[in-house]
Amino acid sequence: MIDPKRVLRALAEHWTLLEPLCEHFDSGTLSLVELRNQLSAQLPDSTPVDITALLDQWIRLDILVPVAKSPNRFELNAQIHDFLAYLRREHRLGLCLEIEAYLRHLERLAGYIQDAFEVRDASDLARQLRLLDMRVRDVLKKLANDEQALVAVAERAKTSDRQIPLRQRYAEVLATWDEYVEPMIQLVAADGAFEQGVYRVEHVLLRLLGEQQRLGQLVDDDLLLRTHARILEMQTTAQLTLRRARELLLPLREEARRHNAVTRGAALALAAIRRKGLDAVPQAALPLFSRPQSTFLGSASQVEAYVYALARFQPKPAQFPKASATRKGEAPRAPRTAREMLERCQQALPLPDLMLWLLEQEPEGATDELLYWFSRLSRDARFQRERLQRRDYLTVEHQLSLSSFALIKSLTAPDKAEKNPV
Amino acid sequence: MNLDLSELSQLAPIFRELFKGYHVSRRDPELYAQLSNQQDQYRALFKALGFELVCDPRGFYYFVPEQMGAQVNKTAQRLALFTFILVEHLADQGRDPLAVLDGGSIGRDELPALLEKYRDLFVQAEVTTQDELEEKVMRRLGQLGFASEDNGIYRFLAPMHRFLDVCLSVQQDRDLAATLHSDLPLPSPQLIDDEPEDEIISLALDEPELSEEDALARAMAEERTQQEIEA
Repeated sequence: MIDPKRVLRALAEHWTLLEPLCEHFDSGTLSLVELRNQLSAQLPDSTPVDITALLDQWIRLDILVPVAKSPNRFELNAQIHDFLAYLRREHRLGLCLEIEAYLRHLERLAGYIQDAFEVRDASDLARQLRLLDMRVRDVLKKLANDEQALVAVAERAKTSDRQIPLRQRYAEVLATWDEYVEPMIQLVAADGAFEQGVYRVEHVLLRLLGEQQRLGQLVDDDLLLRTHARILEMQTTAQLTLRRARELLLPLREEARRHNAVTRGAALALAAIRRKGLDAVPQAALPLFSRPQSTFLGSASQVEAYVYALARFQPKPAQFPKASATRKGEAPRAPRTAREMLERCQQALPLPDLMLWLLEQEPEGATDELLYWFSRLSRDARFQRERLQRRDYLTVEHQLSLSSFALIKSLTAPDKAEKNPV
Repeated sequence: MNLDLSELSQLAPIFRELFKGYHVSRRDPELYAQLSNQQDQYRALFKALGFELVCDPRGFYYFVPEQMGAQVNKTAQRLALFTFILVEHLADQGRDPLAVLDGGSIGRDELPALLEKYRDLFVQAEVTTQDELEEKVMRRLGQLGFASEDNGIYRFLAPMHRFLDVCLSVQQDRDLAATLHSDLPLPSPQLIDDEPEDEIISLALDEPELSEEDALARAMAEERTQQEIEA
């Protein structure tokens, strides 16, 4: 039998050494060599003999115990580990099943209490009531511990490195939800085992109180009332713990779920686009927004004419030549490219009147086409130009009134001109 | 509802921005504050003018074009494609896409790698160079209030939720998923060209001593049956 005072004294005396070791023991066992290295790092002035003596003391006091089947590896004695965890406010989340097991035991105890009362065994009744009270305290202790552990789970998830993928960061949250919170929701539900168990025990205790008044006291009423009050406290605490668990973990769980859904949706959309093109993404899903309006100047009459034309738009069937058909008459001339026109214009310099030159070059040209070339050539940076007086020009279809330009000479080297968009 | 126009002191800039397709978020504190404080008035006024102001609780405002005239334009498709690509790219890198697209940022220096990796997809949106990516996507994101650019850092704003919502709706679109999966390559063609499996099985049952070829055919038939059962 180890003297408890010696264990407590050793824990107090070596707390500075034991506390850092706890973190290692939280995540696994340590070999003798690892233990020695840890201790010599903390005690730089000590000799190997001192460290051996220290380890011997811990082993003798049952603070350190060898791992089963691995005599060279050590772990903290489970009882001591729990005690130290309590002192360090490190809480490990228990199992929901443990609470369920406690409840079953409470129900059994309620049965024993009823039996003891029926046979009028006062000492057994008092003993069973004390056991029931202690079990309820166990459940309360466990719920308090679990709540702290849940807070720690949420804190770890929130404070972990943002660069780690959310799936990994929230792995513990998701596992905790599935393994603890979800079963707890089932357990504490109105028709769950917790409520039913509490109801049965409560029923027995209240009946006992009534019967004691009728048949005479076997135990002090206060004991019954205290136990009853503690059971109600347990019920409230369980509901509060569950609510707190939901408040802490549900947003994180939803965030992780949303994250997964977004990532999966993006991958799905990209797969669809790869196979079927950009239109594969359901159109209804895409955000609709007004297109940024380009600003342009137009006179009121231009806008009116434009709208008028739009309103009376008549589609014309486009006539495409048949591949098999032979052409009648002259082959149509290919449209002139801007480069071609620029070159011709450059060769013809100086041009006293650009519009006149265009009319000579393209006597059959449509008005809009001629105007396009006029605009295109007169604006080109390679020509030096001079504004002429407004006058009338006659195309095949129209009479135009405009101020033409005289193109005097070429300003730039041809390579700069190449950069202009054509 | 009585509207007091003197209270709507930011009406002109708000209308101008929203009309352009811009999303007003907290990045424009004055406009956002005014919209938040006078939300109902603005909504009523714009409704009377034929514009539907959407007040997204995630912190942004925008106009919805009328459904009749609304068409998913190239820009919307291009920006959605960029969002899909960025989400996948970040997830591949082990980064958190939601953290980046919901208030986070990426550097301009990350764009070349992105363009290179997803060139085949960007081509579909007529984006082939970094200049085009910046012009047609990043600048557009800025113009529409989805992102802001500062010193080569693109910061994504709350309206990006509209594109994240697209990801979610695609994920929920069972039809799309089904179409995709139905297009998956079918099992190896040799099996399809084989004789009907009933004959192979009956042959195997009738003849206990199997040649090597028969044994192979039987094994293939059994495997195929198993696959069909599992499917």
